Amino acid sequence: MHPDTEKLINALRGLSLTVEACDYQQRGYHFAIDAESGKLRALAEVMLEHEMFLAFVGGLHVKPAIEIIYQFATYAGACRFVVRVAVAPDNSVPTISDIFQGANWHERETRDFFGVDFTGHPNLVPLILAEEDVDLKPLLKKEEALKDTAEVRWAAPVEAKPEVEKAEQG
Amino acid sequence: MEILAENRAVHADLEPAAPCSNHYYLNMGPQHPSTHGVLRVLLEMDGEYVVDPQPVLGYGHRMHEKMAEHKDWMAFMPNTGRMDYAAALPYNHGYVALFERLCGIEVPARAEYIRVITSELNRIVSHHLWIGAMLLDMGAFTPILYTFDDREQVLDILEDVTGSRLTYCYFRVGGVCKDIDDRFVEKTRAFIKRQRERFDIYNKLVTGNIIFIKRTEGVGIISPEMARRYGVTGPVVRGSGIAYDVRKNEPYSVYPNFDFDIPVGRNGDSYDRYMVRLLEMEQSLRIIEQALDQLPDGPFLGKVPKKLKMPTGDCSFAVEAARGELTYYLVSGGGDIPYRLKIRVPSYSNLSVLPELCQGMLLSDLVAAMGSMDLVIPEIDR
Repeated sequence: MHPDTEKLINALRGLSLTVEACDYQQRGYHFAIDAESGKLRALAEVMLEHEMFLAFVGGLHVKPAIEIIYQFATYAGACRFVVRVAVAPDNSVPTISDIFQGANWHERETRDFFGVDFTGHPNLVPLILAEEDVDLKPLLKKEEALKDTAEVRWAAPVEAKPEVEKAEQG
Repeated sequence: MEILAENRAVHADLEPAAPCSNHYYLNMGPQHPSTHGVLRVLLEMDGEYVVDPQPVLGYGHRMHEKMAEHKDWMAFMPNTGRMDYAAALPYNHGYVALFERLCGIEVPARAEYIRVITSELNRIVSHHLWIGAMLLDMGAFTPILYTFDDREQVLDILEDVTGSRLTYCYFRVGGVCKDIDDRFVEKTRAFIKRQRERFDIYNKLVTGNIIFIKRTEGVGIISPEMARRYGVTGPVVRGSGIAYDVRKNEPYSVYPNFDFDIPVGRNGDSYDRYMVRLLEMEQSLRIIEQALDQLPDGPFLGKVPKKLKMPTGDCSFAVEAARGELTYYLVSGGGDIPYRLKIRVPSYSNLSVLPELCQGMLLSDLVAAMGSMDLVIPEIDR
């Protein structure tokens, strides 16, 4: 476990985010956070301060809004966070590419595949797809295949535990 | 000239060269011998110096993530061997282990040992390829002949058991598809002995070579702080002195049963990244040796239901591929077809550091720095 997990969790709680402790054996990550897009940048700052690195950014097309998935991990131990952010009604999410430079390409790729606008991104041009395919959005689901957010979540989610000590066991 | 104007339009962030400056654009790849696979780097140059190198991706893009949403989990298995073609078995491993974790499937101990042995052999093969290719990029032709000789020995061993030499599809959910026999064990032991003797040749030929040292020492220094901002993993981050290895950080399979070290560099330059990989090969040999000694009897494939029903929910599995952390992130909506499969590949984040890393470098140093990253482009493009 990351040596400063406790501090990190407290800092995230300071942003009034709910940190859900998860069973690593079952899910492969330790904590999950559902964040509003307004808090994303503050969350990323906290992650950077606490020695986390950005593993990846990816999209997930669900109803009612596309979710952007961020996974953070650490070089110092085993501590993996999955952060889900639903895009705003205008299909946008703030960029974190100025905080984690590695996000630059991940965000461009997610824009390619889902058409999500990362506001403030310095260079949001196609990365993986060709320029003429800028509106292809290949990973968007057809209407009949589209599922609701609740349909792709664990049936019995582990509720966030109020005390830090318990959360650490996750 | 038209192409130049087009490039400028695509890369709007590139400042157009000032009217009286000497800056010019140089296109490197996608068919350049030192941009292995199909990487293209658009270089803004000032004489021999690189002002701004911008990788242009997508030439090998096949949309594996979309394919994963259209076939059942087993039919996607061959795709996993076609991203990182130089080290496909860790990709097999992450994929099957993901479903084992999600569905709670037990794997027999013998199968886990076979997985580790073959994965580590694959890691060594990948590093063989890399040593040869990196030195070739830098103008040394001889080393690749030696490393490919060694590489052939392992490929023969792996071919016997997996049936293929490159794009493996050997692991199955619940185990592996073919058991290893005494011949495999014998040949592998012979290879370990042979490879240990060959390190001496590598060291004489490359490690202590003054030209090689002059061209790599202090070239392309990645600081730990910079590595973290970009999410760099694998031998590249270990070259910067950070002992991050998924096999130790988040142990999976039977790796905790083995005694092995994580070699790290000191300066984070191209030479350190070379040394880390070379030392890592010896550690892989150690793992294989211990695994062969402890190899348990028993079934090589566990009992797995014919039709795999996934629960709804998301699941992540990280493994240490030859180039760094590989993470499969699966979102399941039930049934046997993934709702979404995100594949986090190590070379992607490792390459994204290039524009910051290579600013102000000589072009020939960029080739050395890029070579030391061990890029596999089909993995980046997916």
